[in-house]
Amino acid sequence: MTSAATAGAGLSDAEFEKFREYFYKRTGIQFTSAKRYFVDKRIDACIRGSKFDTFTSWFAALRLSDRSDLLQELINQLTVNETYFLREDYQFDSMLRTVLPAVLEARGGVNRIVGPVKILSLPCSTGEEPYSIALRLLEEWPPIDRIDVEIHGADIDSDVLSKAGHASYGERSLQRVPKKWRDKYFSPVGGGRFQLDEGIRGAVTLHQVNVCDTNTMRAFRDFDVVFCRNVLIYFDELSSRRAAENLYGAMRPGGYLFLGHSESMSRISPIFTPTRLPEGIVYQRPTGANR
Amino acid sequence: MTETPVKVLVVDDAATVRLYHTSLLSEAGFHVEEAANGLEAVESALTTAYDLFVVDVNMPKMDGYSCVETLRSETVGTPAPVLMISTEDRPGDADRAYAAGANLYMVKPVSAERLVRVARMLTAGSGIAA
Amino acid sequence: MGLVRRNAPPPEETAAPPSIDTLMSQLDDPDPDCRREAALGLGGVDEAVPALLSRVAGEDEPAVRDAMLTTLAAHDTAAVAEGLAVHLATDDAGLRTAAAEALATMPVAVPAIVPRLLADPDHDVRVMTAMVLADLPHPGSQTWLAQMIAEDEHPNVVTAAIDALLPSLGPEHHDLLRAAVDRFPGDPFLRFTVEAALR
Repeated sequence: MTSAATAGAGLSDAEFEKFREYFYKRTGIQFTSAKRYFVDKRIDACIRGSKFDTFTSWFAALRLSDRSDLLQELINQLTVNETYFLREDYQFDSMLRTVLPAVLEARGGVNRIVGPVKILSLPCSTGEEPYSIALRLLEEWPPIDRIDVEIHGADIDSDVLSKAGHASYGERSLQRVPKKWRDKYFSPVGGGRFQLDEGIRGAVTLHQVNVCDTNTMRAFRDFDVVFCRNVLIYFDELSSRRAAENLYGAMRPGGYLFLGHSESMSRISPIFTPTRLPEGIVYQRPTGANR
Repeated sequence: MTETPVKVLVVDDAATVRLYHTSLLSEAGFHVEEAANGLEAVESALTTAYDLFVVDVNMPKMDGYSCVETLRSETVGTPAPVLMISTEDRPGDADRAYAAGANLYMVKPVSAERLVRVARMLTAGSGIAA
Repeated sequence: MGLVRRNAPPPEETAAPPSIDTLMSQLDDPDPDCRREAALGLGGVDEAVPALLSRVAGEDEPAVRDAMLTTLAAHDTAAVAEGLAVHLATDDAGLRTAAAEALATMPVAVPAIVPRLLADPDHDVRVMTAMVLADLPHPGSQTWLAQMIAEDEHPNVVTAAIDALLPSLGPEHHDLLRAAVDRFPGDPFLRFTVEAALR
């Protein structure tokens, strides 16, 4: 453990262990020894991309200042961060099969529910997530014929929001969309791009918001389902806590929160109740009765 | 006696404590998994049926007592034995552990022999390591 | 029926934040959710700090307490550091660990109180201090942890400090670790920890 790895030399066993423990403590993500080669390569890329030339100096800077640029690059290297239609689709399965039926039941049933079912996608980026939710509801959730559903997308970045509003996508974004849905809801707009049907575009409300800002988040209320995937992992301790608190405030008691599949509330905040669904863990805002 | 190994979840924010308890219990034939705080333990217990929990007290996000209470509540509802091991030895700490639903409360450090003996006692009849 | 667009104006245009006076009075509202939102809404408001500090220990709703601590920790000042450090000694495990977590995010104000915490007669407070230093992003943390390993009289404090120092452990710490084993020869966990760290 006395040797300090320089870029390109790979990590020593002790360095790998230190890094593995840090990343587990910080994110809850565990890398087994089988991932050693992958982790070594990606950390090497992070060190090369930084102003540091050894693992020791890079790791010290990462830990000491919780520097967001170093951390962002690290997470980008170690996780898949790409948005496309029907990404992590098992969570949408979970929403249709388990979560929405539970929401309807908790709110009095299909025939007695008052007000719309509200779904929030945050961050919504260029729109793939909220529009995926819309497509799956329209195609695969029959109760939508009898009740109102509001879908909201929100992001801090006005550029991605304007792209989301335009809703035209290339092949890469659409690769998982079944041909039948593509024919039905998208029309070619040239340059290999396809624009989403105006009816769906118009039905999804887009907002610019910073999830860490309590004052703007206060306007989001009574959501039954929130998707907040692959963003909290990038925040420092206090920002992720405040974001979680703001999401809690945006949800109806008993409402459901989906995080990205490698993210865990266990590193962020204890205010939600983890709940096991057949498709995985989801978080619920406690109802008064659970307190 | 069944053929399934006894499954233990070691819950502690200190990596060295997890390593210590995990290596002692693994050598004794238990199948050990780890969680770094009470909340992660609750999440793990929702998806895996453990035969024993070894739980620290002072942990971020969710302390040991709250963790044990949640394991016993309808959120998880596990009947598995819980051994709490803590650095705290103030009056009332053990009572708090039992009130939360722990089966046994011990103060650190716990010797290898004692940890394994207690783990066997608490899991008697639940698998091949017992 | 079906997908509906929200007809009301977008929420960002309707949101008028409550006044500070309103939020301050809501800290004592019987509805926990109202208290929780008030505590969050007071983020960045200096004059709310004393009111929040005085309510942390008495707040029995964990979600409200967490909101208070989230807001307080963002005020990285001596008053908040001292006000939260008091709770490291409490019998309430949830409160003392939550206070330690908050203090670990305050690298400006916490260093000034570390010497006092290291000298606290209650070894449980010193164990909690090691927990704070483990995550405190401050270059002095390593030095204080090394000092705890070298000097603290309680083995549980020393093992907590070793665990906290582990990520930044270097060859310069090896003698320190060996000396700790010699000081507490009867502690099997301390010996194991040091052997694992030196391996």
